[in-house]
Amino acid sequence: MRFPFLAAIYRKEMLDLIRDRRTLISMVVVPVFVFPIIMSLMGFVIGAMEDKAERESKTQTIGLKVANPAVRETLSKAGLVVADKDNLRALIEQKAIVAGVEEVAAAGQAPEFRVYSDNSNPTSAAASEKVRAALAGLKEAIVRSSLRASGVPEAVLTPFSVAKVNVAPPKKMAATMWGSMLGYLMILLMFSGGMYPVIDMTAGEKERHTLESFLATPAGRNEIVVGKMLAAMTAILMTALLTLTSIVVSIRSNRIGGNSAEVRQMFSTIPLDAGNIGLILVTLLPLCVLAAAVMIAIAMFARGFKEGTSYLTPVMLFVLFPAMLGGMPNLELTPALALIPIFNASQLIRGIILGDFTRAAFLVTMAANLVYATIALAIAKNRFETESVLFRT
Amino acid sequence: MSSAPAFPPSAEPAAVRVENLSKSFNDPKRGEVRAVDRVSFQVARGEIFGLLGPNGAGKTTTLRLISTLLKPTSGTALVGGCDIVAEPAKVRERIGFLAGETGLYPRLTPREILKFFGEMHGMKGAPLAGRVQQMIARFGIEKFADTRTDKLSTGMKQRVAIARTMLHDPPVLILDEPTAGLDVPSARNIEQAVKEAKQAGKSIIYSTHFMEEAEFLCDRIAVISDGVVKITGTMEDLRRATGKQRLREIFVDLLGI
Repeated sequence: MRFPFLAAIYRKEMLDLIRDRRTLISMVVVPVFVFPIIMSLMGFVIGAMEDKAERESKTQTIGLKVANPAVRETLSKAGLVVADKDNLRALIEQKAIVAGVEEVAAAGQAPEFRVYSDNSNPTSAAASEKVRAALAGLKEAIVRSSLRASGVPEAVLTPFSVAKVNVAPPKKMAATMWGSMLGYLMILLMFSGGMYPVIDMTAGEKERHTLESFLATPAGRNEIVVGKMLAAMTAILMTALLTLTSIVVSIRSNRIGGNSAEVRQMFSTIPLDAGNIGLILVTLLPLCVLAAAVMIAIAMFARGFKEGTSYLTPVMLFVLFPAMLGGMPNLELTPALALIPIFNASQLIRGIILGDFTRAAFLVTMAANLVYATIALAIAKNRFETESVLFRT
Repeated sequence: MSSAPAFPPSAEPAAVRVENLSKSFNDPKRGEVRAVDRVSFQVARGEIFGLLGPNGAGKTTTLRLISTLLKPTSGTALVGGCDIVAEPAKVRERIGFLAGETGLYPRLTPREILKFFGEMHGMKGAPLAGRVQQMIARFGIEKFADTRTDKLSTGMKQRVAIARTMLHDPPVLILDEPTAGLDVPSARNIEQAVKEAKQAGKSIIYSTHFMEEAEFLCDRIAVISDGVVKITGTMEDLRRATGKQRLREIFVDLLGI
């Protein structure tokens, strides 16, 4: 392998690549903008939905089939719009009312207030929650006044209280969410970011009839393959880096989750520091070689760009599944599981973010992916030495 | 048992010596197809050797074999004394190959393409830049040397392709239909360059469909059909063998159509 040849081939491929609009879109525009756009849209939609439910639950009518005047008064005081209605169930289904309260009296028993709502509709669910809270308040007030009338201290109502404490700090909560998403997202975008450059430098060269002249030069087949590989890897790594940067920046500068404190908290931080970013990149490096080599080997069969796209699309689906599975919680990356390519990297990234992975899992993952990458590279090189592949027209 | 050499040894070895070159392909429908069948010829220094034949006769396959893009099923060829089977890398250093449907990298400029192909022949730095500039001037590329080639006309592109083929000053040029699809001025330009190369002592293998061009340009001609060389010789040889005057008639006569 002669370095000047390698360098010249790499330069030519990169020059060709950055002047291609399609490549530039998949390599730069998609990773930089897709995530912030999705995040803002998600934040906007979640927020808007909550606001709408909150607002409408106060302005839409709640049907009453209630004799008890205290109940009617309590609901009005809680700021809800109430009106007497029959057939509450049907009216809710027709969306004529947003919720309903029915008093069911049975002889010798305390009356039961049934709160009807359509929980598939956020506004109805929010309204029924308001009704329930108002009625609970009324119930407590009645109990308290009865106790007072009987001379019993109110303290008997609360012999003790219960408080829930989540010892997981917000950072850890965010880690569980990011652990299942980040590896998957990055692996997916790496493959999609590499797809167009790879097709362009393989099937594209065939389609444009440039390959023959290239092969007739003294450049060695291995120099050509490795030069192209390095260019493809640059595109893939660049996509990965831009994706990661874009995610971190948009998380730290965005307000996502609307009024839902829980969602907001999960999105408010991304537990990444220089240390684990470095580890994630080390994990992705052999995967990057693997992605480039596999895609080059496959796209080399294609006669043109269109055919290349249809060959590589199924590859994306094969990547999608293990990458997604790798993000699943409650799976532990055992050395045996670390042999499964893509899954292992996705799972390891999750472990890195959670700060919870074994050295064995890390080493096995790296070694396994390096072996797969070497095999894929050998296959890709072989494609460049096979007449029937090179001259498939 | 060894067969007798196809050519008697001469004092000055030919620059290209093709010996019993054969290539078979496996076609899923037709089975084994002999695209090139025991083809032999030689090309001396300063000689333009024309390769004529109908489409599918095996011209392109023969040129691809000599250029080491394909491996022969049997037989071999020597290019500047190097064997295409044993030393393909050395052969590639000695040839300038212009493929039939030559494409240029559409997003690169002629200057970038020339530089790249120079680098692929081990050239670099100031000598390379100087040589690129020289070729740009020789082929009248100045005006569009820094324009992306996807913006160029067919004639402009073909000039760049020829410049690319001759850039590293190879002793052997292998040109597959270099004037196909060109208008007269562009074709003329290229024919002129080929003649100059001949005067500079290059050996040129030239395939074409234009009979006039072959008559005008080539020192010797081989007519190939169904992978087999039907005849090889100067125009005089061909006339004598067929009793016809014009190459077009000779061609038709040899193919039996």
